[in-house]
Amino acid sequence: MFSTLNSLFIAAVLAGTPLLLGALGEILTEKSGNLNLGVEGMMFMGAITGLAGSYYYEQAVIKAGGSVSGVLSALIALLCSFLAGSFGALIYSFLTITLRANQNVTGLTLTIFGTGFGNFFGEYIGQKAGGYVAVSDVTKAAFSKIQIPVLSDIPVLGKLLFQYNWLVYFAIILAIAMAWFFNRSRVGLNLRAVGESPATADAAGIDTTKYKYFATVIGGGICGIGGMYMSMVTTSGVWVHGCVSGYGWLAVALVIFATWSPLRGMLVALVFGGLTIMRMYVNIPGLPAQIYDMLPYVATILVLVITSMRESKEHAQPKSCGTNYFREER
Amino acid sequence: MKKKVLGVLLSAAMVVGLLGGCGAPAAADTTEKTDEGKTEAAAEGIAKEDIKVGFVHISDPSDMGYTYNQEIGTKEMQEALGLEDDQIINKYNVPEDAECDTALRELVDAGCNIIFATSFGFEDYVKEVAAEYPEVQFCHATGYQASDAGLDNMHNYFASIYEARYLAGIAAGMKTESNKLGYVAAFPFAEVISGYTAFYLGAKSVNPDVTMDIMYTNSWNDPTVESQVAKALIERGCDVISQHSDSTAPATTAEENGVWQVGYNNDMIEAAPKASLISARIDWGIYVTEAVQAMIDGKEIPTDWCKGLGDEAVYLSPLNTDIAAEGTQEAIDEAKEKLISGEIHVFEGPLKGTSPEGETIEIAEGDYYHEQEEKSAPSWCYIVEGCNVVE
Repeated sequence: MFSTLNSLFIAAVLAGTPLLLGALGEILTEKSGNLNLGVEGMMFMGAITGLAGSYYYEQAVIKAGGSVSGVLSALIALLCSFLAGSFGALIYSFLTITLRANQNVTGLTLTIFGTGFGNFFGEYIGQKAGGYVAVSDVTKAAFSKIQIPVLSDIPVLGKLLFQYNWLVYFAIILAIAMAWFFNRSRVGLNLRAVGESPATADAAGIDTTKYKYFATVIGGGICGIGGMYMSMVTTSGVWVHGCVSGYGWLAVALVIFATWSPLRGMLVALVFGGLTIMRMYVNIPGLPAQIYDMLPYVATILVLVITSMRESKEHAQPKSCGTNYFREER
Repeated sequence: MKKKVLGVLLSAAMVVGLLGGCGAPAAADTTEKTDEGKTEAAAEGIAKEDIKVGFVHISDPSDMGYTYNQEIGTKEMQEALGLEDDQIINKYNVPEDAECDTALRELVDAGCNIIFATSFGFEDYVKEVAAEYPEVQFCHATGYQASDAGLDNMHNYFASIYEARYLAGIAAGMKTESNKLGYVAAFPFAEVISGYTAFYLGAKSVNPDVTMDIMYTNSWNDPTVESQVAKALIERGCDVISQHSDSTAPATTAEENGVWQVGYNNDMIEAAPKASLISARIDWGIYVTEAVQAMIDGKEIPTDWCKGLGDEAVYLSPLNTDIAAEGTQEAIDEAKEKLISGEIHVFEGPLKGTSPEGETIEIAEGDYYHEQEEKSAPSWCYIVEGCNVVE
């Protein structure tokens, strides 16, 4: 029983991390008043560029006769996926902030674009590589669980806390840093002001356009890293068609579940991750697997119902979210 | 207040609706044994240059599994018959829903004379479209409805993969140290159950103490779930993972967690050199070549086509001798000979099993279950002792 719970916890963390990254990116975006529904698309873009970055780096090194460095390969994947996600978000930002296009439609379009982008280049690179893109063992090892001396060897706790891949810790640190940024820093305060009431922020002398651009683009980059987690960790550095498969949408739901708080995001990502893999660890006799598979979505609907009924001022969506700010319209 | 009550009511309704939907899932009934012979012959032959072949695939060859293996068969056929590249049209990544219908019609519109649909869930759409276009031949892999459909232009084909799985099971049975195998299974359908039972019986033939845990992914091709299921099986103490799912995710997961793996569809040693022992494979090329050749000759394509080990329609990828247990190759070769000669059978009595619907079967000593002999689709859907379905 105890060991089952342990395994469930570990699997939940692994399944929840891409969700957390996607949700963190979207929280940052929404804090600036932009509702970017393109998370799925940006994750796809991050997934393929991260993998492609590592893959082409390896090919180049092998061609030059050198040996592949796992750390460098991982960093390249991180950078590439961040840039790809940012690029997707930049398109979105330009359309909604500068051209003031409808945010919902633009976001949905970005999802469709990003999904196609990911799958197209995934197949393209695969076919050029002889039908199959896979990174080398060195890169795979860089994305598998880490071994910290002493800490990882503690019985039970070591396995529970100190044996994940580095992206898990990266996501946790990012969540904490983001919470600090929102609540403790001047820039974070300004950003929240932009998200709540851009007109007020504008009157106070805050450059709303700059804030919106930066938050959305960086948020998109973080979503891209979440996508890279799917291609590098979940599918072990092998491109598979449609590997993000709905995780981006779950991340959007998670933002609401987390009530726009990065710290609570960690907890709910764990719960969501747990719900997606629960049937493999906890067996309720007679309950069909399909019901288990529905759980994350059922939870989302329930949370939406509950949060919309609570009407808490503190844990609500930034007020201007979804509408574009146009100074001349004041 | 009203809003709150309504909200609570709606949520409650949803939960009740969910629980109400928990009925037993209807499974495909593959046990019928009617066989209506086809009377009319196919149209007279089509010149080789005029033939156009269409394929509908659930994934694309980058899965390095099922669709990749299908693609190899297509290439074999193309080479054997000398077809040009533009005579073959592939539709990749077609889901098992109305998009399949669209894909089939697009292939007909493109002028295909013969269309192969390669995933189980395509069958209903194939049946529907085949009825509308009697001049086009439709061949569906792994299906079971052709003989009852009453359509001259619909055919089923498969290979007796259970024989290869039995042999692959030997490698797993000899390698396992925990005496516990794990199986990433797609759906509780006869095709899957027949496969894993054969795999288990193969392992048991060399290791009487072995048991096997089976977990379903409820999808033919979902690498994320496949790897999560494989991980869960490893956590349960399984040290050889096998699969009836399309991707290499179980193989890479096994390697990452330091256990072994037996593949399906493709030699997975490249994806997981330290984990993959051997793979059971189907040579789709034999059928595809025969079917297209039949079109050229103006001959009839059989309603049900199934060949096995003896015809090399199923075979094993080379054994990974670096990690396999000693004597594995010899044991496999011996069993293979006996299977071909008919000295042993995979589903041989005494054997007892229960289907997911609660049907039981008992094979007496000296008798055996005639799997895939009358119809091309597998029909063994009974879970035997030692196999533990986790759900």
